[in-house]
Parts: sequence; C-alpha cells; structure tokens
Amino acid sequence: MENARRSVEATGRSVDQAIERALEDLGAELGQVETQVLSEGSRGLFGLGAEDARVRVTLVESPSSPRVQIGEEPWPASGEVADISIDVVRSLLQHMGVNASVAIREVPEDAEMPVVLDVEGEDLGILIGRQGETLRDLQYITRLIVSRKLQRWVNVLVDVGGYKRRRERVLRELAERTADRATDEGRPVTLEPMPAHERRTVHMTLRGHEFVTTESTGEGRHRKVVILPKRGA
Amino acid sequence: MKELVEYMAKLLVDNPDEVEVTEVNATRSVIFELRVAREDMGRVIGKQGRVANAMRTLLKVAAAKQGKRAILEIV
Repeated sequence: MENARRSVEATGRSVDQAIERALEDLGAELGQVETQVLSEGSRGLFGLGAEDARVRVTLVESPSSPRVQIGEEPWPASGEVADISIDVVRSLLQHMGVNASVAIREVPEDAEMPVVLDVEGEDLGILIGRQGETLRDLQYITRLIVSRKLQRWVNVLVDVGGYKRRRERVLRELAERTADRATDEGRPVTLEPMPAHERRTVHMTLRGHEFVTTESTGEGRHRKVVILPKRGA
Repeated sequence: MKELVEYMAKLLVDNPDEVEVTEVNATRSVIFELRVAREDMGRVIGKQGRVANAMRTLLKVAAAKQGKRAILEIV
C-alpha cells in the first residue's frame, strides 16, 4: 500500500514552496521523488494577477527511508521482519508501561508489502493520540529501529485497536462523498484540516477520479484538502 | 521512562556504548538528558527533529502512565 508509486500536485507562492508542500503530503524527502513543474507561477503586478506555482511530485522510492547500507546478502524473509517488528513494538510498549498485546495481522508474501501489526488491549487511546499522532510516532520509531536491525528499509505498519482501519474507511467514504458533492455543485469543496497521512489517504482515494482532482492548501496544522471539479467535466 | 529513552537511543545509533541518559528531577516534571556520540547526533535528532520529536511523543505516554510530565533534551 505505502510502497505504491504515488504522485501529488501542490501549489505554492514559489516552486520551492509548492515542492515542499507536495513532499509533506507524500511524507517523502527530496531524494526520493521526481518533480515536474507544471507552472512557474507569477508574482503579478502589485499583487494583482499573481498566480501560484504548481508542481507534480511523484514518489519513486519508499518514504521515510533511513540511510542504511543495502548489503549483498539476500533480503530477510518477511517472517523475520514480522518477528523482529513484534519484538520491537512489545519492548517499546513494555518500557512505556503500556499493557497491551501485539499480534501480526498480515505476513506479506513479498518483501515489498508492509508487515501489519495489531496492538490490542484496554484503554489504548493514549497510544493513538490526537488525530493519530502518537500512533504515527510509534510506527515511525518502530520502522527506524527494525530497519536498523535488518540493515535495510522495511515497511511496518502499526495499528492500535483497529484505529487506522476504521479511520481509513471513514476517510475513503468522506473523499468519495465530497467528490460527488464537488461534481454536483460544480465548485471546489474544502475538507476539515487533517494531518499529512490522512490527507494522503484522501489524495490516494481520489487519484485517477473521473471528475475531480485534489490539492492541499494552508499551513501546518491548518493544512487541508480541497476537492476540485475537473475543468470541462 | 529512562529505560525507554535508553532502549530507543541505543537501537538508533552506531555507538550504543556511548549512549548516556541522565535523569534530572524538577518540581513538576522529569528531565531526561540524552548524550550520544557526536557522529550519532543526527540519528537521534533526525531531519527537522523528527526522530527526537517521535521519541518525545513516546516518552510523554510513558510519563502520563505514571502521572508525570517528562522532557527529553539532547545535549
């Protein structure tokens, strides 16, 4: 899922700013993408007729890839990734004083697919955090540690009490519904601000949609997705 | 809490033997000072502080479990 080739369009006051925003949406760094400048934008005259720069940024390498040496040895089997990942998450939770169980949801068939871990237990809201931010950081630290142990980048997804699964379904439905609305009303519709990984889900859901395109606007915590009807659609 | 910081830091650096965590008790919170080898600084901080901030998030959970507030400083 997170390894698929992905691409987003973004706008900004300058080409650099547009690229920066696109990178944020992809959760990627400059060395992992191809960028295409769709419009350089213009400053306009006294702020009149100013036009935003527009870029398309495509991910060609997996996000959050730590700079690990890729050795000559064959990639470890997914089962080994799963075992080490479970071990790391269990240790983290134990050191955090959180009483929970960790199980594997999926052992992927090939090394490109993510290993998904489920954390289950009582009262795990503390592991999810505001808009899933604690869960995102738990997953990030887990990936870093597992990747370092295996000396290559591994794709590990951590879910707590099915939170991500539920949230993803809600976001997909929201995206589809809002796309219908934008199409029916023939005008852009803006969603509530949401964190980068959630905006990504919306962009991905509507990628290749027949009647709408998506982009993100706003800064930091106020950044949100806009769903726009395609011209002539 | 200290074990959590040590556990994460040691697995992120190239020189785990040089990881040192000191606990400083302040009135309302606990401060953890993390020291690593100079060449490992980038590994515990990350681009735009992303790794450090993620460690802070997990430390916050550990502290909350004990009804405390914890601060992580990389020195």
